[in-house]
Amino acid sequence: MEARHLATIEAGDLLLSVAEQLKVPLTAIARQAELGQLTGQPSLVDAGAIRTQADAALQLVESYLLGLQLMSTQAQLDLEPVSVSSTLQDAAHALERFAKQYGVQLELHVAGKFPPVMAHAGGLRAALLSLGFALVEAQAAQDSAKPRRLTLATHHTPHGIIAGLYGDYDGLSAKQWRSALKLYGRAPQPLTAVSAGSGAGLFVADAILRSMESSLRVGHYQHQSGLAATFQPSRQLQFV
Amino acid sequence: MHVLLIEPNTLLAATYRQALQHAGHEVRHVTGAQAAVMAADGRTPDVVVLELQLPQHSGLEFLHEFRSYAEWQHVPVVVHTLLSPRQLAFATDTMQRDLGVCAVLYKPHTSLQDLLRTVRVSTAAA
Repeated sequence: MEARHLATIEAGDLLLSVAEQLKVPLTAIARQAELGQLTGQPSLVDAGAIRTQADAALQLVESYLLGLQLMSTQAQLDLEPVSVSSTLQDAAHALERFAKQYGVQLELHVAGKFPPVMAHAGGLRAALLSLGFALVEAQAAQDSAKPRRLTLATHHTPHGIIAGLYGDYDGLSAKQWRSALKLYGRAPQPLTAVSAGSGAGLFVADAILRSMESSLRVGHYQHQSGLAATFQPSRQLQFV
Repeated sequence: MHVLLIEPNTLLAATYRQALQHAGHEVRHVTGAQAAVMAADGRTPDVVVLELQLPQHSGLEFLHEFRSYAEWQHVPVVVHTLLSPRQLAFATDTMQRDLGVCAVLYKPHTSLQDLLRTVRVSTAAA
């Protein structure tokens, strides 16, 4: 009963965070539509930007619903051997148009041999996409003269296989991330080092990953910082 | 008029920039507080349009910094933010009374026309 109560509070905070985040794409779509009317020049309306914003909003809602379903039923996703490299490649492909709209260059680092990990393919994809949409938008907003770049990478550590997204986020620390996990839904801007808004996609991704016995942590990769999750290799397939 | 647009979302900024330019304004867009101070240092704006939720340093920090320089104390500032009036209740008085903010607009409820009108009125009154 107590666990269910905590899950309800957490789901409520997540909903508040998602609602805050949805103001951005909905405002962008509304103002784009108005621009054509205001100027009398329909050619000024950027259909690509409208589509990108609508896709981002839909993806956030879908990932939130998946996270909510997992939290409310206290169910764990059925874990199965999944290729992290393929899922990252798939996520990079899905993020390409969004990143281009925001002027962010995506880099994919999945070279090398990685055994399958225990995860849920759909859940992992939803988490990485949710994280990716949030971090692309955040990278574009960084107050820096550096080129906007986001790296999707996987690498081995003694603790497991790490999949993460990394960029130039000055001041991002583990302490800030822990604090943000307590603040989301209650503070309008819980992680100022990364996001200019609620950053809901980050917390939705974390909620989904926790149902896969993982979670997001601050990680570093090739002089960049970001958020990453650790997965255990599938022992079952290593013997095959 | 030269407008300094401080807006972290680059897609939203592109729309606001087009609307302001269509109304005859010159626009300099930056995504954060540090770049905004540098931009104002390069050319003093006639008006600042400011989102309060910025990465790293907040819009309020920018306002305090901006107003600390004599040459920028009378530049009109329009706050144009995703923070709702309820979320901003604690700061609205301070912004208007102590930091010389001309108007506080809630972005989701502010049409481009409303924004253009507010910019026009703010610069006319300055």
